[in-house]
Amino acid sequence: MNLIRLATKNIAGSAFRSGVVFLCALVVAGLSLSTVLLIRGAQESLRLALERLGADVVVVPEGESSRVETALLMGKPTTAWMPQENVSKIANIPGVAVASPQLYLASLANASCCSASELFMVAFDPKTDFTIEPWLKRKLGHELRLGEAVGGHLVFVPEGEENIKLYGYFISLKGNLEPTGMGLDQTLFLTFDTAQDVARISRTRAERPLEIPANSISAVMVKMKPGADAHTAALDIIQKVPNVTPIESPELFQAYRKQITGLLRGMLAVLGITLVLSLVLISLIFSMAANERRREIGVLRALGATRVAILQSLLSEAAILALGGGAVGIVLGALTTFLFRDLIVRSLEMPFLFPSLPSLLTLVGAGLIVALAGVTLAALLPAFRISLQEPAIAMRE
Amino acid sequence: MIVSLQDVTKVYTISQENIVTAVRGVSLEVGRGEFVIITGRSGSGKTTLLNLAAGLARPTSGLVLLEGVDLWSLSDRQQSLLRNRKLGFVFQFPSLLPSLTTLENVGLPTIFGTNHRGQSVNDRAAELLDLVGLSDKLAAYPRQLSAGQQQRVVIARSLISQPQVLLADEPTSNLDEQTEKEIMSLFKDIHAATGVTILLVTHTSQLVSYGTRAIQMANGVVVKG
Amino acid sequence: MKIVAALIVILALVIGIVPQFTDCQSQGRAIALQNGKTVPMKCHWTAISEIAMAVPLVGLGAVTAVSKRKESRRIVAGFGSLLGVFVILLPNTLIGVCASSDMLCNSVMKPTLTLAGILVIGLSLVGLVISERKAEPTA
Repeated sequence: MNLIRLATKNIAGSAFRSGVVFLCALVVAGLSLSTVLLIRGAQESLRLALERLGADVVVVPEGESSRVETALLMGKPTTAWMPQENVSKIANIPGVAVASPQLYLASLANASCCSASELFMVAFDPKTDFTIEPWLKRKLGHELRLGEAVGGHLVFVPEGEENIKLYGYFISLKGNLEPTGMGLDQTLFLTFDTAQDVARISRTRAERPLEIPANSISAVMVKMKPGADAHTAALDIIQKVPNVTPIESPELFQAYRKQITGLLRGMLAVLGITLVLSLVLISLIFSMAANERRREIGVLRALGATRVAILQSLLSEAAILALGGGAVGIVLGALTTFLFRDLIVRSLEMPFLFPSLPSLLTLVGAGLIVALAGVTLAALLPAFRISLQEPAIAMRE
Repeated sequence: MIVSLQDVTKVYTISQENIVTAVRGVSLEVGRGEFVIITGRSGSGKTTLLNLAAGLARPTSGLVLLEGVDLWSLSDRQQSLLRNRKLGFVFQFPSLLPSLTTLENVGLPTIFGTNHRGQSVNDRAAELLDLVGLSDKLAAYPRQLSAGQQQRVVIARSLISQPQVLLADEPTSNLDEQTEKEIMSLFKDIHAATGVTILLVTHTSQLVSYGTRAIQMANGVVVKG
Repeated sequence: MKIVAALIVILALVIGIVPQFTDCQSQGRAIALQNGKTVPMKCHWTAISEIAMAVPLVGLGAVTAVSKRKESRRIVAGFGSLLGVFVILLPNTLIGVCASSDMLCNSVMKPTLTLAGILVIGLSLVGLVISERKAEPTA
């Protein structure tokens, strides 16, 4: 028998009270972890996506910036067109290292000629591209041939088939990119040549043909020379290239960032309120318990327990319940966030990437510490007060 | 003298209007091995006197000495250790921890201080439970025992650290007459067997015959003995 | 113990009922064959199979609540854990659900069943621990 065993016996002895504290710790820990996971997941996803795009500036037709951002963010297809000659104009801007054009296309919705409905397709120029090409070199070892494509993490060949059918054209999926938690995961990447080939075949084989306006592109990805200033280049582009909007990388997804910030602030507010309420409840429960066990504590003091020992015993009870409830809450929080991540992304319309295992373990550890600190703190004041009481008074009726 | 109270007063301030002087200027000397029975009506201050002697209540004025040591010159830690090693308590109210077994309850004081030279706590606890006639109830919980049996367990607990002084506050007031006699006989037997000094408070004056000395209190002062 | 039993019964109801409203059949989707007939997608068969897991789980929950013997509680816990395992395996490997993450069966039904299965296993084990503890001898 020691103080810890005494604490566990006391916990078992008041099942209802212990249960409530356990549940509070569970809710606090689980909710905290889920919220942090969502925040970190959104930030991480944005970071990876920007890294993946690799562009310092993205130039899109004027007025199309939010639609293009939505396409990249959520994988909701969009089309946008501007003259192809913009590429050379942009390439000639001082400080620009590479200007790579892209075409934004979409598969048909619920058409028999397309096995993937409303799939966002990005066609790139292999000669200038710096987004997909590095991955191709690393993973495939060769360029994409005609009829081949590469997909984001969530793009797949329908079950029972060998290729993805788009506009009646069979595309061979050569591989999948690493996940970003954003719309890029639901995007198909193909070369300009393949895109034109699909458009050609679609005239005879598809329900509706794929239209690629002649001498048109959808966007230009710009990479700056080392040391060159993207902002200056963006200003130059506005001056020299008509009817376009240059979006600097840090500004990308600004609308969504604001939305997400708003959403996450809301979540933090809910978390804060829950935390405060739970801690108040726990403090009340411990106050009640300390009061009810006044006599018992007086007896313990008579038997030789120091004030510190009484404090230790009460705080041990709090700590055990905090760790137990916290651990269960964290596991449930992490599990739920992980299992329902697709639903979260869809319903909140925000990017999300579940963190890697080392990152997750750090968060779990932090969550446990928060639960432990919170519950113990809530129990501290009532425990302290009761430990100071004169034993004779504590034992009175 | 093992317990010495010198001109001790205890005043309780319940509110601005309600100030109670439970004990007024009492001096009391208890010799080693005495079995002192303190009687008095409800409110006479006898329980407060006991609490003062045990260091469970701080005197408003006066000195409390245990084996010559001024209790209130000690730190909380020192005082607690002293109580743990030198004193044993039997209370009027049920004072067993409901979530512990009989054996665990008897051994409880040992978690706050080391008391035994060699012998394991459980062995000693079992021995004491045998002494009080409850060797068949080692694994029982307090709710499974009668009031008299619970009090026996408390007595066994009070002896676990081989105390110098046993302090009992109205130990039989919740018991029927027959059980009361049994408990008082137990105290007498323990006193005879171990020579432990006993300070027992009761409102039943008929019980003074069990002790070696009787003291009567009224209105916070000693009126007889 | 009664709380554990009640939670198991609630989970059993979730396991049996939720899939009926989140499979593709309930959303009006099915596979169209060449001859014009429609057949349900595999998520529908998963949903049906889960009923077969849910019904005995309700029974187990009831037994957990009333049973006092250690032996029967052990059997119930073992059986409960096994059912929990199958609840998880059915939508994930044994039968499966639709592959596309924007289908309700994938984004809602599968994770709900996986979580419910894990909780059933966890509760069965908790019930086992509690019953082993309670069986400690008293005077």
